This record gives sequence, structure tokens and C-alpha cells, in this order.
Amino acid sequence: MNTRFSSKAGLLLLVTGLLAACGEHEQGEQPEEGAAFASSYEAPLSQPVLLTNATILDGEGGLLENASLLLQDGKIAGIGQDLGEPEEGTRVIDAKGKWITPGIIDAHSHLGVYPAPGVATSADGNEMTKPVTADVWAEHSVWPQDPQFALALAAGVTSMQILPGSANLIGGRSVTLKNKYGRSVMDMKFPGAPYGLKMACGENPKRVYGEKGGPMTRMGNVAGYRAAWIEAAAYKKSWDDYQASLDEELGGEPPTRDLRLETLAGVLSGNILVHNHCYRADEMAVMLEVAKEFGYKITAFHHAVEAYKIADLLAENDVCAALWADWWGFKQEAYDSVRENVAMVDAAGACAIVHSDSAVGIQHLNQEAAKSMAAGRKAGMGVGPERAIQWITLNPAKALGIAEQTGSLVTGKMADVAVWNGNPFSVYSKVDRVYIDGALAYDRSNPARQPHSDFDLGILDPEGERP
Amino acid sequence: MRPNRKLITTALLALLSCAAHAEGLLIKNATVQTLTAQGELQNTDVLIENGRIKAIGKGIQSAGVERTIDGKGKVVTPGIMAVFNQIGIREIDALENTVDGVSQNEAFGASFSLAEVFNPYSTLVPHNRIHGVTRTLVTPYPGHDLFAGQATVFSLSGEHTPILKRTAAIYAQFGERGAAMAGGSRAAALMQLDKALDDAREYAENRDAIRRGEWRELSLPSDDLEALLDLIDGKIPLVVGVERASDIVALLRLARKQDIRLVIAGGAEAWMVAEQLAKAKVPVILDPMDNIPGSFESLGQRANNSALLHKAGVEVIFTGPGFQSSHNAFLVRQAAGNAVANGMPYEAALKAFTQNPARIFGVASDYGRIAPGMNAELVVWDGDPLEVTTEPVQVIIDGKAVTMVSRATRLRDRYMDITNQKEPAYRN
Repeated sequence: MNTRFSSKAGLLLLVTGLLAACGEHEQGEQPEEGAAFASSYEAPLSQPVLLTNATILDGEGGLLENASLLLQDGKIAGIGQDLGEPEEGTRVIDAKGKWITPGIIDAHSHLGVYPAPGVATSADGNEMTKPVTADVWAEHSVWPQDPQFALALAAGVTSMQILPGSANLIGGRSVTLKNKYGRSVMDMKFPGAPYGLKMACGENPKRVYGEKGGPMTRMGNVAGYRAAWIEAAAYKKSWDDYQASLDEELGGEPPTRDLRLETLAGVLSGNILVHNHCYRADEMAVMLEVAKEFGYKITAFHHAVEAYKIADLLAENDVCAALWADWWGFKQEAYDSVRENVAMVDAAGACAIVHSDSAVGIQHLNQEAAKSMAAGRKAGMGVGPERAIQWITLNPAKALGIAEQTGSLVTGKMADVAVWNGNPFSVYSKVDRVYIDGALAYDRSNPARQPHSDFDLGILDPEGERP
Repeated sequence: MRPNRKLITTALLALLSCAAHAEGLLIKNATVQTLTAQGELQNTDVLIENGRIKAIGKGIQSAGVERTIDGKGKVVTPGIMAVFNQIGIREIDALENTVDGVSQNEAFGASFSLAEVFNPYSTLVPHNRIHGVTRTLVTPYPGHDLFAGQATVFSLSGEHTPILKRTAAIYAQFGERGAAMAGGSRAAALMQLDKALDDAREYAENRDAIRRGEWRELSLPSDDLEALLDLIDGKIPLVVGVERASDIVALLRLARKQDIRLVIAGGAEAWMVAEQLAKAKVPVILDPMDNIPGSFESLGQRANNSALLHKAGVEVIFTGPGFQSSHNAFLVRQAAGNAVANGMPYEAALKAFTQNPARIFGVASDYGRIAPGMNAELVVWDGDPLEVTTEPVQVIIDGKAVTMVSRATRLRDRYMDITNQKEPAYRN
């Protein structure tokens, strides 16, 4: 590991350590290094790379022609037309005719928790046993050998949020991963990414629990969320009181830990970001009221098929909408889909995200964004590729709480980069190279730089890999 | 009594306007993908009259034509023939009452037909139509029987008599699903398919005695055996849902033994047996965007399956993506674009969702090529039809320019101006 990278990482750890040393009880924060379940992700060693003569979509709204991008010490070290002479030892790659974008980020994926092959014995994404399972963590279901991670990588995906399913009112903690195979999920955890909490509105909880003790109605759903938050507020208070007594050196016994309430208290403390599966505009509006009642923030509505009906409300409340380009009709709450949804949300000033929720879709987020961009243009909204790229890079990074580290090509951010053989908004374009933290994670022209999960080895062909 | 001149004039005018309405659509200066030996024609006009393509060429005069479409920078193709979906048969997947595409009724297997229950008012019809789908092969989904039923070709014209071909194929299952239906083994499924076809032959030869009840009990009800007769006569193909290479080979043997026409649907591992498929002239229906090893029978699933099949000489047909294959059947264009990105030749990809399914399912006599005399079932695109940023500017069915409005465009227009002070419920 290069020195600059490790010293920064060290500083970060030191700061985190200091906070913890203060004795502050931070419910829902990522564990610090060495603690249980902490990220053990390590950025691979990399030599500096200078990509030249490319068309760059920087993820910040810029389109740079004939520009260069310097990756050094795992970070973006320079972007622009004139970066000067590269340091000795820098690999210079002529990227003429190529397009460069930030690594693609999927705000909604179930890779690893619903791995391929999709067999019952490894379908671990939905704890459909009771309506509130805030105690489960998606990371404890992730199978790091899911062959689908490699497919997503070949499509430029460098980070993704893995969520529990949507059967439950409160489905559990999500985890944000770097798209790099590891032997454990800890090896894949995005360093410092906050946890998310999966919540679900509407039809799914009704359908799953309607005949299993409820909720069986939307009003039952809302009663369920509120009951959970009431408990969580009381739990948080018990810990806050304990902390106060410690601060005043009065001593006292800590309250008993409750995994379910710990996660919910983490939301109330602002440490865990709420990702709320919610299709209908009116339900999203109600969920904003629930958030108001209990003083938490909804970071993003997912699958928000009707977001366009309340795009102004989303903008006012600073809530992202994570959307499909065109899926509809599989449920009644997905009936009012319009292909301009993403562009309309974007135009209203809200944070628009194109997400996949699909192992196929995650490989075509560029095409999904392209369809949304084209639909927006044809409806008179002047959205260009420099804007549309944000729907699958910077905006999902914001929703995942990792925009300080990745999501755009800004000096100092992680060198998570996709190099395309043409305009990424064309169906014919493919990813040539993917860099994660400055290291070449995928190279279409070099089979030795194409990762394979354990599952892919010797299957169908004992001497080969799955095609 | 002298004829009333005014009345006659009015009547004549009415007649004239009728005639003008029935004919006269001219597309000027377009790029035309003829899907014939003529290939792609640049700066070409297409004249449509009385529902048919009247002429193709340069500088066709527009005198007397009711409407001219400027085709500059635009591309004309046959309308999309979507396949293997349930447009007009299902409205909302999760609402059973709105879905007619599966039967658990044990009285019907191979004879189960959706031909009479297509709903031309379904929102899926205009939604797919404004995005370029003009006809669809609707297929029952597997219910209780290895034979799911009959596939029917419908027009998306929105008319009440949309049937283009009542029985275009029979759909059956093999592989994991077929095995589960046959009692837990692929072997049982294969034996059951084989026996059904044997019994259909026995039925054909002894129909009267069987109908009178003077015959041993056969493996299927007589209505289902009756439905299989077109198969054993070679009039229609048997489409079988199957993924694994070894299962495909087993079906090829069965088809040869039974002398039936076979079509593979799914075909995740078809590329592994491409030569055998080509030799047997067995086409494959597949979703070229699916590269997920989703089950132990599709471990060989790969993105260039269709390119490899095409290269080996296998005819391919594309479906839209996965579970959106009905609601968004039009996305077969995106699927085809991805096939091209993975090595499929461009024109072959276009044919895979127009001409190929038409020919294989017996509706190609007046559709699937742009040539004089063919039915005017066309799409005018604002760019490359395989590109994800392209949309139709006009869809034409039976020579008529169809409405380009759908429920989704109505909703879009209602909410387009989010600052609009007029209450939404009173907007258009």
C-alpha cells in the first residue's frame, strides 16, 4: 500500500478511535477497525495511471473533451486538459475515442443475498418471519462468491448497496460494498460507509402478513412503523440517560442491548440512513409525515414509480428517489409508471437515481439512464449525458452516504473509474476497463484481469471457467 | 323529381373523403430496413395505400396522399412482433383476477387457448404499441400440465378481431420445471411428452372409436390429443421451455423420433449444442440480455449466446427482458441492441424480432418485409431502432397511423408542470 493512502486512512481511523474513546455511544455507526464486523477491505496496490485524450463525464455535471485523468495512490490525482508531465513510473494509456465516467454505483441491489444460481438454499435476502426485523443485517447473508458480482464489474459497477428484501415494514440493515471479491463480506465492505435501514410501504407487507397476524392494510403498515419508532425512541432515551449518568460520573448499569431497537435508535441518532421502498406518491407523503413525527430523515425512496407526482415535495425534503427507467404493472402500486419519471424528478431539483434491483439491470444501468435521458429530452427537458451520468454515480453515492469518497471524478476521491469504448449512453458501448481505488479490477482485453468467483471454476468445463 | 344537387355533392364528398381516409400515407426520404434482398435503402419513400405497401422508391409523388411523414434522419422497419408474452391477457401481474394466462383447470392442457380472451382495451396494448410493437405471439404460461397450451398471434391494432393466427404453436415444458410437473424427474417428463405424441397418433387413427368410448384410456383427454394433431402433421411447431444443453439434445432426439417441428424457448445453454440445432433446423427463442446463471440448468448462460447460435446457422427469436416481457415487450429492441453489442450481425438482430418469429409461427406471408404488396405494418423511428435513446415517431398498423398516446403519456402530461396551480384532478 502506498504511503499517502495509508497515512490518510490512518488519520481517519485515529479520528474515529478518538470519538469512540470519548465514550460516546454511537448507535448504528460502522464498527471501528478491529471491532466485530468491521470492514477489512483493502485497496490493492496500484501504479499511477494516466488516461489521456478521453471524453470524460466527471459526475459533477461536466463533460470534458480530449481530457486526461490521473489515478495515483488509489485516488483521483488530476483531471483536465493539461495535467503536465506524469511522474516516473506512471502508466500512460491513450484513451482516444474512449469515454471515462466515475465507477457506476447501484443504490439498490440484492447481489450476494440473492445470488446465482437462484436456488432456495441460498435465497437469503428476505427475513419474512415478522413485520419488523430491524435486527437482521444484510451483510450476514451476503455470499461473497456470487458470480453476479463479476458480471456487474464488467459493466462498470464499483460500489453497490445490498439491501434486505421488501416483505417487511422494516426489513433490516443494508450494507454498502466495494465490488471486489473477498473471502468474507468484511473484505468487501466499503470503508466508512454508513449503514442503511430498509423499510417498505404498500403491497408487499400487506401481502406477506395479511393472513399472518397483520398488517393487512396500509393503515396497519403505518401503525406498525409508528409502534416501532415509539419503542426505538424509548430505547434511545434509556441509552442517552445512561450516557448522561456516565458523563456526570454517577455510574449506573447500561441498558440491555436489543439488536432490533439498536438499529432503529441508530436511525434516530442520524447514523443509519433510511432507504424506503415506496411506490405511490400518496404513501411517500405519509412516510414523510411519519419521519417528521419521530424526527428522522428519509434518505431515499426506492422504486418510487410515482415520484414524478411529488417531485417538488421530494426536492423540498431533500429526499432522493431511486427509480427504474420503465418497469411497471407487476403490482397495482406500479401501475402509474411514466418513462419521464427520472427526468421529471431531476428537473424539479430533487436527487434522482437510476437503480437496478436486478442482477441483469445492474449490468445496464448506463442503458437504463440513457432511456430516462431520452424520454426526458423528448418531453422537452434538456438533460444531457453530463447530467444523466449523475443518476448512476454521484446521486447514488449521496444516497449511500459515500459521496465524500466516491461517485465523481474529483481530485482526492477514490479512483473508482469506468473506461468505456464509446458513449456510455449507447446500447453498443461496453466497459473496457474498471479501476477500483486506482487498481485495475477489470480489463475486457485481458482475461487475466477478469475476476471469477469460486463458483465459476471448473463448472461445465473442469479445466475452464463458466463462460 | 329532380335530384337534389346539394345532397348528391355532399354524398360524393363523403365518398371521396372516405376513400382519402382509407389510403394515402407517404413516408419521404427515410432509411428503410426492408429485411429483403434489397437490404437497407437510403433516402427512400414508402407509399401506403389501402392498408398495403404500394410502392417503395425515390421521388414518389405525394399528390392525393392524405398525410406525408418526413422521414429525413428516420428509419423505417416492420413493426415489432413481440413473442412469448401475455399482452392483452394480463393487466397487473399480482392481481389474479386480471391475469388469464395460466390454467390450473385439469380439463385443458395442450388444448388450452387464449384466442378468445384477448382484451384490446388493456393498457398494455397502447403502451407497447406506441413503442413499436404491432403484433404479438401470446403464450399461456405453465399451469398444471406439461403442455401449457396454444400460442396465438394477435394484432395490436386495438380492433375487436385481432386474431392473426389462432393456433401458431403448442407450448410445453421440459428441464427442471417439466421434471417437477411430471413427478420429479426429467426422465418422467420426457416419457410423458413422448407418450402424449404417440397417443395423439393413436387418436388420429382411431378417433371415432375413441370418441365413442370404445378404446383403451389414453394418456390425455381427447381435446388435448386433438390439439396435438397439428403438431404431428407438422403444421405448427412444439415450443419447449428448456435451458440445459443435455436437455436440448434429448428434445432433438424426441423431435426426430416423433417427426415434429421443434422450437427451443429459453435455451441458456443452446450455444453449447449450436451445431446440432442448426443441423436439425431448430430455432431458439431467447432473451439476449439474460446472462445470469439463474439455475443449475442454466449455468452456461452467456451474453453472446445469440451471436454464437446465429454464427452456427441457428435461427433466433428475441423476447423482451425477463419478467417485464409483457408490460414492456417493446424492450426487445434493447435486447437486440445488446445482442449486436455482443456480436450478432445488425440485420439478423432486426429480423429476430420481426421476420423470424413471423416465419416460424406462420404469419410471414404479408408481414416482416418492406416490399410492395405487403401489409403496411411499420414503425418510423427517430433513429437507429436498436438504440436505447430511439423512439417511434409514428406507428402504422394496417396502413393507419395509430395514436401515439397511452395512459403513461397522459399521466406524464398531467404532472409535467409540477408548479401548475390547477388542481391535478382537473388537468387533462
